[in-house]
Amino acid sequence: MCRIGAIKSKKFLHPSLALKLMRSQQEGHDDSGFAFVMQDLGGIFEHHKDLPIISMAGTVEGIRKTEDILINKGFKSVLQWSPHISSKKGLKIEPMPNYMFVVVQYPKSHKYATKEEKEELLIDTYLEIRKVLEEDNSGYIYAFWPDTLVLKEIGSPKDIGTYFNLWEESPELCAKVITAQCRQNTNYDIVRYAAHPFFLEGYTVLVNGENTFFEKNRDYQKCLNRAYIGFESDSQCFLYTLHYLNKVLKWPVQYFKQVITPLPLEKIEQRPDKEVLLRIKASLANLEINGPNTILGVLPNYNMICVCDSKKLRPVVIGQNDDMVVMTSEVAGINDIMPDRDISKDIYPTESETVIVKNDLTVERWQQ
Amino acid sequence: MAAVKINELHKSDLPWIVEIDESKCIQCGKCCAVCSFNSISPCVELRKKSANLSDSENTEKALVIKQNIGFENHCRGCGMCEAVCPNGAIKVIRNNDDMYAIRYRAEKGESLKRGGRSNLNTEGRTLDKIKIGRISQMTDPSLDPLRHTFEIKTQLGRVLSADKLGFEVNGNKIVETKTLPPNRWIYPIIFADMSIGALSSRMWEAIAIATAYLNEKCGMPICMGTGEGGIPVNLLKSRYLKYMILQIASGHFGWNRIIETMPEMTEDPAGILIKIGQGAKPGDGGLLMANKVSKYVQEIRGVPKADLMSPPTHQGLYSIEESVQKMFLSMNAAFNFRVPVAIKVAASVTSVSVYNNLLRDPYNIVGGFFLDGFAGGTGAAHEISLNHTGHPITSKLRDCYLAAVHQGRQGEIPLFAGGGLGQTGSFAGDAFKLICLGANGVFSGRLLLQIAGCCGNDTEKCNACSTGNCPAGITAQKECLSKRLDVDKVAENIVNFMIATDTELRKLMASVGCSTLPVGRSDALITVDKHISKRLDIQYSI
Amino acid sequence: MERFKIDTLNNKNRMSTQELLQLIQAKIEQGVTSFEINACGQHDIGGASYSRVKGENLKFFVKNPGQRLGAMGMKGTQIIVEGSVPADTGWLNSGAEIVVKGDCGDTAGHCSASGEIYVGGCVGARSGALMKHDPQFKTPELWVLKNTGSFSFEFMGGGIAVICGYGCEDMKSVLGERSCVGMVGGTVYVRGNISDVADCVEIKALDKEDIDFLNKGLQRFLEKIDKKDLLKSLTSNWSGWKKIQPVKDKKSEPRMSIKEFREKEWIEGGIFSDFMKDDYKVFELGGTGMARCRIPQHNSAECINCSLCEKKCPQKAISRVSGGYIADAEKCIGCGICAAVCPKKAWKMLENNKDL
Repeated sequence: MCRIGAIKSKKFLHPSLALKLMRSQQEGHDDSGFAFVMQDLGGIFEHHKDLPIISMAGTVEGIRKTEDILINKGFKSVLQWSPHISSKKGLKIEPMPNYMFVVVQYPKSHKYATKEEKEELLIDTYLEIRKVLEEDNSGYIYAFWPDTLVLKEIGSPKDIGTYFNLWEESPELCAKVITAQCRQNTNYDIVRYAAHPFFLEGYTVLVNGENTFFEKNRDYQKCLNRAYIGFESDSQCFLYTLHYLNKVLKWPVQYFKQVITPLPLEKIEQRPDKEVLLRIKASLANLEINGPNTILGVLPNYNMICVCDSKKLRPVVIGQNDDMVVMTSEVAGINDIMPDRDISKDIYPTESETVIVKNDLTVERWQQ
Repeated sequence: MAAVKINELHKSDLPWIVEIDESKCIQCGKCCAVCSFNSISPCVELRKKSANLSDSENTEKALVIKQNIGFENHCRGCGMCEAVCPNGAIKVIRNNDDMYAIRYRAEKGESLKRGGRSNLNTEGRTLDKIKIGRISQMTDPSLDPLRHTFEIKTQLGRVLSADKLGFEVNGNKIVETKTLPPNRWIYPIIFADMSIGALSSRMWEAIAIATAYLNEKCGMPICMGTGEGGIPVNLLKSRYLKYMILQIASGHFGWNRIIETMPEMTEDPAGILIKIGQGAKPGDGGLLMANKVSKYVQEIRGVPKADLMSPPTHQGLYSIEESVQKMFLSMNAAFNFRVPVAIKVAASVTSVSVYNNLLRDPYNIVGGFFLDGFAGGTGAAHEISLNHTGHPITSKLRDCYLAAVHQGRQGEIPLFAGGGLGQTGSFAGDAFKLICLGANGVFSGRLLLQIAGCCGNDTEKCNACSTGNCPAGITAQKECLSKRLDVDKVAENIVNFMIATDTELRKLMASVGCSTLPVGRSDALITVDKHISKRLDIQYSI
Repeated sequence: MERFKIDTLNNKNRMSTQELLQLIQAKIEQGVTSFEINACGQHDIGGASYSRVKGENLKFFVKNPGQRLGAMGMKGTQIIVEGSVPADTGWLNSGAEIVVKGDCGDTAGHCSASGEIYVGGCVGARSGALMKHDPQFKTPELWVLKNTGSFSFEFMGGGIAVICGYGCEDMKSVLGERSCVGMVGGTVYVRGNISDVADCVEIKALDKEDIDFLNKGLQRFLEKIDKKDLLKSLTSNWSGWKKIQPVKDKKSEPRMSIKEFREKEWIEGGIFSDFMKDDYKVFELGGTGMARCRIPQHNSAECINCSLCEKKCPQKAISRVSGGYIADAEKCIGCGICAAVCPKKAWKMLENNKDL
């Protein structure tokens, strides 16, 4: 099983907090990987919020090919950051030769481009780089998007933390939104792309779950958007559905649950908005997720969400204090990083609700 | 005794031989009385008394039961005589050396007609070579048929993709801004369309009662296809109309009554089914032999007592565009675009082309695609069609589904598959596999007849639906036969069968971890046949 | 022996569950009976262990345990946690006393068969599922101050659960949705709103015995979770409490027969009644009257009054009348023997082709 965690904070936080959040949940996963997404960045990235950051790992050749594409398209490097790699021996990690996090300036051609045109350019570039890297297996690109940093690696989360020097707090690397997952292993091959959190155009999703309708979801999503690719893990479907619904269809995020776990017809019949719900259930039947899952997500506006499957088969709990809201699989993780919170405010989301954490950290609970 | 000539029909030519054990026969006459085909009769024979007596005194008359030999009254093997014989003295035996089909054509100069299904089942059934092989074990918990809620429902009606729904967002709420095509949530098993006329009034009413009962007392929203033989006005005016899928075929029988009754209807029908073709006899139109055209059938269809042969095509439809406009548009308009209009075609090499054309219909007026495989049944057909035309359902259904997947349009026009379901015993298994291969639902007609007590099978037993002499009263219009059918018992058996099937569907859904219908979940299927694996794109397992 | 303290975190290094449990077992074998464990999500703490010191119980004071706290707990074990714990607390509890002063995650008390679990907050989904009671042992108890998640007490087979609904007055259901599905035994006491309870159980008012049990038990429970002051508010109004138990001898309502449905709800007279009246009577195979496929007709002109037909008729349907014979439609099944034996072919079998 995966263990997942998401932190949203008023203050900038270092990813070591995510490691600590996940540490107590070790026996809940198989100690096979660690990945995190940082959004709403501080530290050295704080003053480049509007500029895209490329998050990737690769061989020298992979890095070179990526740089070529960026240069050809007219992107200019503004800032480069690399993690401090530990030389400690015996760490349980399968590292890549290089990790690259580069802030780039948009090409001149896009100086006066609209937000949509810029986004189009970023997704084009992301897809092109991913394709080129896949050709000779020379690397992995996890994100190319403003204000977002993604790192994924195979190994023990503790040792991955040590390897990248993430246990030591440092003011240069921090963010207000951090999502993290332990376990690289999917039901399929161990592939870096298969590790959550999954990220696409400002949407981050991580899932503790199984998608028994994976094939159905995948078959449908493949035609919906050119960026819905990969499918190395059945959980990517959760991201694509959220992205499709909120970004493409522009539907409120409250409808995510109606799509992935639609209400039974007899319940819909009692609803004043039954016409809309019936249409959604019919039209997006191919995006239903059938299977146990807890989904944590971050939206482009940095709101955080949490939904569970309709049978509530997977665990999740939300803890909060004045500065921070934390969602994770097991309360032990929250106990570790927020020992002094008011536990009577802890939330155990039910099978029928969507929890939304706003940017002022108010927590909304929407009943399906 | 008359002279016997070689070119006449002999007992050994007949497909079924009646054997009587005279030592057991008490000459009660019941066997002859029940035989609806008049295939056996009592008669008096001369017998030799004793070897010792002189010829003049050596004969006596004996009453015996004898098989009749004739083209009209030959034994069909239905077995009613066996059923009533108090002593087990009578038996019908399949004659594997029969010449009947040749003799019939040679004598009559006509094609042989009968009811039933294809009797040349040489290929074996694909569905029987497929198993449900992806069982939820550890990665995802399998569900509990008792504890978990299951929703066994599917859609009938055109489903628009989400971006075409015309939704607008108002705050956190989605609001509808336009009228959308009609869409129903129904049980994924439809009672297939069999007409009044093809069926006895009792059988038809029993299915209608079972349909109403399943909807109203069992919470199973099953729809019944009416077939095209007219609909009783009483039913059209009742609330039960909402469970009926009205059929229009090339004969348009009974539609004037439907139209005239519209002002008095209190409910819309569940749907309308335009029948273009039928799996059991693709390329043929409907066929109702004069024997079955009873007074009521004459009236409701508006025809005299005669062989009713509907044309294989709808006159006036010469292209698919015309079909869409004329039939779909008109039928949609008839109920002011409130009722889904679907089409039924025989599975064929061309099915995918038809489906693609309909998927691309810009007016969104096609509400379902019913694909009927060659193993389906019929009340009457030329045997040549039954045995030699048609296409298996499985691969064609799969082709249509994958064609839709290829365009990202799966589910937009719901697919329903039928034709030979439950033929080898497991209806729920067949239905589940077809659903996993991409069907939104299935339909079956012949199964209902078997539930009702049909004695026929696919090795030429009975198959006399066309004659009007159905020994079970299922397809006969004569009072003496149709009253053999117990409406309440038949309806009860259909209801029970569907409840059992529902339980079995839940069982299968639970094992693959689905609480809703696994439409298109071909990952749940495996096959031990390499060719099937390749053709259907499902996992090959040995 | 004095209380044994374990800190499971050493800088960023966390002691694994296996290491911790093995250490605890080793200490128990050395005679330690009291533990103070500063845990970091380790599983199964306090479970399946027993004191090696006669007359002394095992005591675990635990901070931040992981899943399955006290799982397979044994008689003579006491576990106390100040805060909240993850899923599966007291799974298969077989006699331990488990006190969690905060919340428990999903499936608290799942399959517990003895002992007591006291929870000072809420419990999650499927809590109390499959609780059972072996009469050889003490009844399992699950006490919860607040509420449960959905699907609680599924397949419960025995034992007692008490859900106090404290602070849950605005909740639609303090048992969540779809509780008690498949429950066949035991009792759930509950205070507050409940909805969507399975129909295999009944909701009853408390009797005196119930109130005595709760009065005593609540006092003990609230003491355990340090909330003695709530006693009054929980016991001041017994009408706010209910008890849920499986319905005894549940008879499933038989479905309406089809005949009744046809006669009472179906279209009057049947759907064809505007054209033909069907009496819905059923002809038996080999029946008489109109059930006959063929009907004998007698031609007196041919008849020689030989009485063969009368003698041979298996139904004794034929009798002699002036000028010949008649077949009684009430007796005749239309077998055709009369026609067969008649030397003059005075009997003919006519097809009965009458439409219904």
